[in-house]
Amino acid sequence: MKRYIFLLLLTCQGIFAQVQFEAKVSKTTLGLNERLRIDFTMNDDGDNFVPPNFEGFKVVAGPSQQISQSWINGRSTFNKTYSYFLMPSQRGVVTIRQASIEIRGQVYKTSPIKINVTAAIDIPKDPNDSQISVDDAIHLVAEVTKGNPYINEPITVVYKLYFSYNIGITNWRELDKPKYNDFWSQNIDIKNLQVEEGTYKGERFRFVVLRKTVLYPQKSGKLTIEPLSLDIDVQVPTNRRNMFGQYLMANDNKRVSAGAKTINVKPLPEAGKPADFSGAVGRFDFRVIPSKTTLKNGESLDLNVSVAGTGNLKLFNLPKPVVPSALEMYDPVHTEKVNTPLSGMTGKVSDSYAIIPQYKGDYPIKAMSFTYFDPSLGRYKTITSAEIMVKVLDGPSVASNEPAANEANSGGAKQAVSSTAHFQFIKLKTKLVPTKKADFFDSALFYTLLFLPFLFIPIIVLLKKKKEAIDADVVGNRTKRSNKLAKIFLTEAKKQINNKEPFYIALEKAMHNFLKAKLHIETSEMSKEKIKEILLTRNANPETVSDFINLTENCEFARYAPASSVTIQNDYDKAVEIISALEKQI
Amino acid sequence: MKKALLLFLLISSCLNAQNGFEQGNALYNKGKYSEAITAYEGVLKTKKHSAELYFNIANSYYKLNKVGPSIYNYEKALLLSPNDKEIQNNLNFAKKAAIDDIKEVPNVGFNKMIQDVTSVYQYNTWAWIAVGFSFVFLLLFLGYYLSGTTLSKRLFFIGMFIALLIIAISISSALFEKSIYERDRPAIVFEDILPVKTEPKADAPDAFLLHEGAKVYILDTLDTWRKIQLTDETQGWVEEKAIKEIK
Repeated sequence: MKRYIFLLLLTCQGIFAQVQFEAKVSKTTLGLNERLRIDFTMNDDGDNFVPPNFEGFKVVAGPSQQISQSWINGRSTFNKTYSYFLMPSQRGVVTIRQASIEIRGQVYKTSPIKINVTAAIDIPKDPNDSQISVDDAIHLVAEVTKGNPYINEPITVVYKLYFSYNIGITNWRELDKPKYNDFWSQNIDIKNLQVEEGTYKGERFRFVVLRKTVLYPQKSGKLTIEPLSLDIDVQVPTNRRNMFGQYLMANDNKRVSAGAKTINVKPLPEAGKPADFSGAVGRFDFRVIPSKTTLKNGESLDLNVSVAGTGNLKLFNLPKPVVPSALEMYDPVHTEKVNTPLSGMTGKVSDSYAIIPQYKGDYPIKAMSFTYFDPSLGRYKTITSAEIMVKVLDGPSVASNEPAANEANSGGAKQAVSSTAHFQFIKLKTKLVPTKKADFFDSALFYTLLFLPFLFIPIIVLLKKKKEAIDADVVGNRTKRSNKLAKIFLTEAKKQINNKEPFYIALEKAMHNFLKAKLHIETSEMSKEKIKEILLTRNANPETVSDFINLTENCEFARYAPASSVTIQNDYDKAVEIISALEKQI
Repeated sequence: MKKALLLFLLISSCLNAQNGFEQGNALYNKGKYSEAITAYEGVLKTKKHSAELYFNIANSYYKLNKVGPSIYNYEKALLLSPNDKEIQNNLNFAKKAAIDDIKEVPNVGFNKMIQDVTSVYQYNTWAWIAVGFSFVFLLLFLGYYLSGTTLSKRLFFIGMFIALLIIAISISSALFEKSIYERDRPAIVFEDILPVKTEPKADAPDAFLLHEGAKVYILDTLDTWRKIQLTDETQGWVEEKAIKEIK
């Protein structure tokens, strides 16, 4: 019997023993400047509630009592709560001790709770404030595709606003549009905001993509993207419910911003950087297409320089064609057909040049090259177009300077043949001269030749003076003449050296002539005595004088006497000897 | 024996040079311009040249669309024979194929008038004229000195005076021409695109751009840098290797 009573008690106990009394804290770790809410809840009405003494805490508010009772499907639930707001007064691990209550004569106690009090945090969070839940419920995130791009390599920034399922957004405004300093930016417009589902930090969230921007960094180094700040009107559920049991929503205002991002931009490699690189980064195709290459005078041609592909198409200049001065080139018409999806600019940019030839002839348009950097390969690539030859069939020629006037004048039936209008053929004959040729001017030869005539002038003057003096001297002239004659006669004698008679005649004549010349006497005065006298008065050596006389006498004898060739030779030598002796003495 | 050998070598080299010229002509006529250039330049290597040779080289380069060397060789040909119409005509063609169209600022004033007169002859020719007239002077002096009548004496004296004047004029013209020749250092741009700097430094800002075939005048020299002036009187600095002096 006793056992049955015990069992009954046990079951009764089972029914009534479902009394719960527990303490719940809003958080177990809190900052020194935060507040803690502690609720002591029970599911049965009790009395004599004894709160713990909250050692280490200061009671900010409370106790507040809350009782709720409901009947659902004949079952009643009861809930009674004592709430306190506590403020920690010291750091460290603080234990909230047991609270006790007496329910139906039975004393129940809660289990002690350990609270970790940390240093003060920045924003004390009010556990009852709706802001707390909003902070967790809305996140603005900027997603950057690449953290270390090259200069001019496109990166995209996508701003996503995550919000949890239990809040509603009524409106949002951009407070601060981000400025992309050192970036070339292109916004991609989003017409309809579409709510999608995703996860944020492991939790399910809804999100909208607010903004997509394609950025081309223009500078190397660490670049920051400024944050986007939004002011959002939100509806947050409160603890209150309406009469239908739904949560009442409170309107609130929340500012969110996506944190500033830093992007490390790599410079383009210097190694192998071509000189004509103009900053194109991407993948391109380069084309130079003339509308025609053979044209008549007055026609124009269009030269289309285009770059097509993917990359920073709007951010570089197309290479300019270089044309000869005989072709007149006008400023280009620039056309851009560029789309900007999230992957970066794609399309085609082109410059169209109008070129009008001025003269007849063949003119080359130099080959053009376009260099770009391919970031996927990490190196430079150059595309070179072919050289274009432009043929101008007619028109004024280069050499003639007045083409229009000529054509106007020759309007008649005849066509003037212009001789200089053509490119001349090579020359077929030449006379090669040494490359190094000394200058004649300033050379020694030049000065000699220049001053030689002037040197002649005094010589000529002197010569003329001398001639005049000679002409003036009559006696001297005669002497000269006699000397000459004497020599002539002696030479005559020498010629006749083999013929005895003519030799002696000539010899005698020569002696006489000599005397004539020397002593200024006439042939008529030639007697031996006279000769002797005159010679002696002239201080001649008497011996020589007598020799002279002897010789002349000998001449007379010898003419008729037999004489050998030896004596003839002797006589000749003697005559020479005497004449030279006399000449010296007189 | 040695002398004969030397003479033979000299003659054979002469013949070779002449052959090279004719060989070049034949190649040019067949349209083998680059081979023609090698043949012509072989002649230049024998230290001989002529206006016609440079003219033919220039024509070959023109046909190959190499404007810079073409203009360079025409200018060289014009140096040797300044009044050749054909050379001037073809040079005009080459200049039109060049990219730069540089205006020429006309040289006006008294200086220009003098230069017009003196540039009729080269300074060596002026020197020969001076020498010739010094001999004429001698003859006139002889006539003056030896002639009997007063009238002829007077005429010879005046003639002497005129001859002296002509000698003086031609010597000063020669000096003037030579100074101009030495001051005048034309060069041709050989690089496709040549940025002309404001200072003789590689990192100096560009003053302007020149293209192949442009004619410049060298004013100054600093290390490997040359100060150049264009015919429109703009100035700048370029590196020596980008241009080639004609003289």
